[in-house]
Amino acid sequence: MKLMRLAALAAVLILSTSMVLAMGHGSYPDKPVNYIIPFGPGGESDITARHQQPFFKKMFNEDLVISYKPGGGGAVGWSQLNGMKGDGYTIMGINLPHIIVKPRQKDVGFATEDIAGVYMFHYTPDALVVTADSPFKTLQDVIDYAKENPGKLTLSGSGKGTANHLAQIRFDQMAGVKTTYVAFKGTGKAVTALLGSQVKAEWGYTSVGAKHEGKVRLLAVAMEKRHPKFPDVPTFKELGFDLVSGAYRGIAVPKSTPEPIRAKLSEQIAQINADPEFRRRMENDGMALLDVDYKDYKGFIDAQAKVYIEAATEAGVIR
Amino acid sequence: MQTDPKANVARRDVGGMVTAAVFILVAVIALWDTTRMVDSDSFVFPRTVAIAMIAFCVLLIAWNLIRPESGNGGVPAPGASTVRRVCLVAAMLVSTALMPWLGFIASGLMAFLSIMVIAMYDPWTRFRKLVYPLVCTAFVVGFYFLFAELLLVPLPVGSLFE
Amino acid sequence: MPGIEYLLEALTLTNIMLALGGVIAGTIIGSLPGLTATMAVAVLVPITFSMPPASALILMGAIYTGAIYGGAYAAILLNTPGTPSAIATTFDGFPMAKRGDGDLAVTLACLASVTGGLVGAAFLLGLAPPLAEVALAFGPVEYFWLAIFGLTLISALSEGNLLKGLIGACFGLLLSSIGVAEISADVRFTFGSQVLLGGIETVSALIGLYCIPVLIDLVATPDRHLKVTHQPKGFRLLESLRISWKYKFNLIRSSVIGTLVGILPGAGGSIAGLVAYSEARRASKRTEHFGTGEPEGVQATESANNATVGGGFIPTLVLGIPGTPPDAVILGALLIQGVRTGPNLFTQEGSIVYTFIYGLFLATVLMLPTGLVIGRYAYKTIVTVPKAMLVPTVAFMTIIGTYSIRNSISDVIIMITLGVIGWVLNRMGYSPSPIVLGLILGRIAEQGFVQAWTIGAATEELFSMFFGRPISLAIIAFIGLSLFYPLIRARWIGRRRKVSAD
Repeated sequence: MKLMRLAALAAVLILSTSMVLAMGHGSYPDKPVNYIIPFGPGGESDITARHQQPFFKKMFNEDLVISYKPGGGGAVGWSQLNGMKGDGYTIMGINLPHIIVKPRQKDVGFATEDIAGVYMFHYTPDALVVTADSPFKTLQDVIDYAKENPGKLTLSGSGKGTANHLAQIRFDQMAGVKTTYVAFKGTGKAVTALLGSQVKAEWGYTSVGAKHEGKVRLLAVAMEKRHPKFPDVPTFKELGFDLVSGAYRGIAVPKSTPEPIRAKLSEQIAQINADPEFRRRMENDGMALLDVDYKDYKGFIDAQAKVYIEAATEAGVIR
Repeated sequence: MQTDPKANVARRDVGGMVTAAVFILVAVIALWDTTRMVDSDSFVFPRTVAIAMIAFCVLLIAWNLIRPESGNGGVPAPGASTVRRVCLVAAMLVSTALMPWLGFIASGLMAFLSIMVIAMYDPWTRFRKLVYPLVCTAFVVGFYFLFAELLLVPLPVGSLFE
Repeated sequence: MPGIEYLLEALTLTNIMLALGGVIAGTIIGSLPGLTATMAVAVLVPITFSMPPASALILMGAIYTGAIYGGAYAAILLNTPGTPSAIATTFDGFPMAKRGDGDLAVTLACLASVTGGLVGAAFLLGLAPPLAEVALAFGPVEYFWLAIFGLTLISALSEGNLLKGLIGACFGLLLSSIGVAEISADVRFTFGSQVLLGGIETVSALIGLYCIPVLIDLVATPDRHLKVTHQPKGFRLLESLRISWKYKFNLIRSSVIGTLVGILPGAGGSIAGLVAYSEARRASKRTEHFGTGEPEGVQATESANNATVGGGFIPTLVLGIPGTPPDAVILGALLIQGVRTGPNLFTQEGSIVYTFIYGLFLATVLMLPTGLVIGRYAYKTIVTVPKAMLVPTVAFMTIIGTYSIRNSISDVIIMITLGVIGWVLNRMGYSPSPIVLGLILGRIAEQGFVQAWTIGAATEELFSMFFGRPISLAIIAFIGLSLFYPLIRARWIGRRRKVSAD
């Protein structure tokens, strides 16, 4: 009996001290932070996280430990996020348009509003890509071909209901053409199909231009301004199409994470984003940096959701 | 597994037929689910497969009815313990299901120890009583460190201990 | 030999130590069911940030090649492919172990893996830029036919009951389409359950379907797991060398198949092993012994899957397109280091590429001594450990291995459930291999079919899409050959017998 009481006392003591320790987030982070990528290793979500990894360590003196929880196009990870411990030491990558489109297709175990995003740190802009020896020299060539041969212009892209797919639908609408979108599993496979001339063009990303320099040509990029790495490639806007889109990436935390930690995390990611060396590396890979911090997150998502939902409904991806 | 051809002569492959019937049911459920898919990209393949599966199953059942001796259902090995089999599966399932609450080490120990008892055919000498549990604890803890610390797998800690 | 001047650069003490450590760690990781080469390489990525690119590549390449070889242990000794590449190793490896030749099978696998690894690396060294074009020549329709070619193995694996094999394969194909579809993003066959959202993970399904039935039968009787016919002594190296020499053509053919399949970004080690096994079986004089413990079967898969390592690096380094999943991780690590892949890599940054390729040779050669020693140790352990320790250890490893693939407890439950289903089905005469084949090849077949159909329909040339492309026609010819070869051969042998009888 006495032993039990002692044990209980010890348990209470340990519990309370650990709680005090957990409350003291003045020095967040004071242990390694677990960064979960809801996709497999080697993809672009993984690579951007790997870019952040050394800078996080350098600036905040703690490791950023990357692990993977792939499945269901990210849905497996996101549906479990809010069940995880909200102490700031578990964070997860989030992607647009995935977290907007997926929950509206079918029940995937989370809603867009459930995801407590703290920062959107970059996006890979959509781009229309052709091979270096393609007869299409300008965007107008593509539009002309598509007008003459409705439906015969095949374009590869990564998945359905994705940034590539929605860009294709929106562009077809704006340009008044009909093209055929061929979905592949991931950007890597979509590029392979383009390089092997299985398709005539690809809805890809600016990063494709960086990775396969010399073998592909970007005809236009879906950005506000030209990409610093591709100063000669026009934006869709310049050519008269209001298309600014891409795959946006950010970081979210479990819902139970306290406000001060969320704000702090948001600040820290901003700090990494501001580092000139980090910017150089990201832009060299063809990414575009973005700074949507914790307080702007909701407004940003709402604005994006409007556009994406419209395009996805048009595509029949959402009923 | 081990099929003794002699024991099967002129024996109808009832097991194979029943399984085929179950597979037909599975295929029908799959077909029913494909009716809710809108994109032809999503339903063409599973629908084709499900129809093929029904055809093969019907063929198998028909074949068995016409030529009963063609069956080759398995025969249980003599002296095999079904109780131990069921216990093994139960031990694995239960300890895995408890993992979110008990955490990895506790549920791993539970699985390891119970399966050890289930798989024990030799007498429990004092040496074994002492050494086996020790080895098993060392194994579970060792694996925990290998996976959690070296391979950085986030193993469940257990909500009871948080 | 191109870039010979870099050979010395590869042979620094640091690089030799990295290659040795990588091979040992890789072999051990690969032998644990559930720990795949992809994961082993991914764990290393942060460590390689602080290394020069060539050394980082050598370390990752060594781990990768070691892990592919290590997969053979679990396949041979426990009937569980440690990595998907070793699926076809179970077909003959486990029967060999059962009858007491486990040590021989392990040594044979080691020799075959080294051969395959060297052949793959040689292709990478000498012919990488032209061979990379193969990766581009394979379009959706070719992948579709390749998957169908893989499925023809069912007829060989269904042990006399073709209908049951076909039903099993259909079941596997249906299992492969559970969850969020990879290209159409539709949610299929989940029936509202979130557990099934992520689909059935291939490696966990392998563990469930192959390993759990073995465990279930292992606890049921007091018999030993593997028969022991002789005192485990030596490596049986001479015997293995003799067998390897006897079947040298099989080894070379399988290595070349492995290299070529490795180049294809949509295929991977599992398909390389299956195709090589199928071809070895067809070409062998002992076709009917395949599946009952035929050394040629083990040699074919093990040489082919290690050849995919070198083969997979070809498109990775030349085109920046990863040939296999571990290559994707390695490519990512290189990108972060600022190394740009592409044809220029071979001319402008020869020091990185050639140092790495020689490092890969080095790692493969080091695999011979380390593989033999670790293999012998693994065999002795499995044979001598009492059942009351062996069963819980293996069961525990299946749980932790399955969990760590996607850090998911539901995957473990699915794995055990599939194991029970697999056991019951086996009892009813449905063997697990056709199911596994369907599960692995289903996704490739479906994607290839849907994409080819979409392109063909858009350009209004559906028929020539499926039946008018040279590579497709070649694969179709192979499909016909492997389906009808047994018939042709039986008739041929019959006729010859008649002639000799006359």
